[in-house]
Amino acid sequence: MHEPDYAKGFWNPYIAGIALGLVLLVTFYLMGTGLGASGAVARTAAVIAHGISPQFVETNGYFKGFYGAGVRHPLFDWVVVQVVGVFAGGLVAVITARRFRIGVGRGPTAGLGLRLSLAFFGGIIGGIGTRFAMGCTSGQALSGGATMAVGSWAFMMVVFATAFIAAYFVRREWS
Amino acid sequence: MTGPLAMLQDFSLTTNLWIALVVGFFFGFVLERAGFGDARNLTNIFYFRDMRVLRVMFSALCTAMVGLIVLSWIGLFDYSILLEYSLLKTYLLPQVVGGILFGLGFVIGGYCPGTAVVGLVSGKIDSVVFLAGMIVGMWIFAAGFPLWGSFYKSFDMGRITLWQIFGTSKEIMAVAIVVMALIAFVLARLGEKWHPYDK
Repeated sequence: MHEPDYAKGFWNPYIAGIALGLVLLVTFYLMGTGLGASGAVARTAAVIAHGISPQFVETNGYFKGFYGAGVRHPLFDWVVVQVVGVFAGGLVAVITARRFRIGVGRGPTAGLGLRLSLAFFGGIIGGIGTRFAMGCTSGQALSGGATMAVGSWAFMMVVFATAFIAAYFVRREWS
Repeated sequence: MTGPLAMLQDFSLTTNLWIALVVGFFFGFVLERAGFGDARNLTNIFYFRDMRVLRVMFSALCTAMVGLIVLSWIGLFDYSILLEYSLLKTYLLPQVVGGILFGLGFVIGGYCPGTAVVGLVSGKIDSVVFLAGMIVGMWIFAAGFPLWGSFYKSFDMGRITLWQIFGTSKEIMAVAIVVMALIAFVLARLGEKWHPYDK
């Protein structure tokens, strides 16, 4: 099959996977826990909300855990610092590969407005999903999966099953 | 030295945060080099165009899974600490519901949280929009917490693993998962030959 331009120049996926697995293994060896991402977004959301309405955040059943008495600032946290590392590592990888391009990833015939509104909508649903699942592809599927946690495997299977089915309905976005 | 080091050696917060920064750096680097900074490389799996997401994820999962077992065999990792204190807890139904929402968000939005960060540093506007949507999603979850807060912590099965459910050892379970991954790699190749959406 013809390989599109945006898919060129990356590592062999099995090599990339083994490298990712080794990063995860070292993390488990050092910390006893795996990698994460969505927790940092949740904490950022709490901080922004706190800037707008401290009262809402401090009385909210979910957010108040980040702002309780004697609790450090929500951004002074392991997963937040780890995601800062992801920014830095991703940036170094992009620059050294000369791959930085301002643009929007979408199907060849998909409109810009359609793609961006669906990116926003997908972000909302995905964000809510990470809270119910207590993690995302990094924290649950990958890290929980590697330690064979039951809920992580249930999450991973449901994510992929749902996405394969839903793909049919948004095929215009990606075609 | 036997791991997990931070738990057995009682590392300071500063040490832990330095570790976070360094492992995060390599995490982000590898995600970019895997091609995960572009939504098309991430969603192509769902259209059987390019199954790289499956290949990367399952080979990473198997590498770490087998690695942890080997480290515990040679005395470098205390698996019982993980099982008792840090294995992710299972809240079965909330995680299934979360999986449905997350799966929808993934194929509709084109990213997951970690890859959206890599998309952002790659210059992708759609990843910034996705991250903004996620923040709104977090607000919605928090605002509705009085409604679904009790469901969120329901179906609590504690720290439980697949091998405990299937009544076998972690080694046999790991072998079964590796075999499953190898079968998935073969099926991925067949799926790419099929690519039903591009006919």
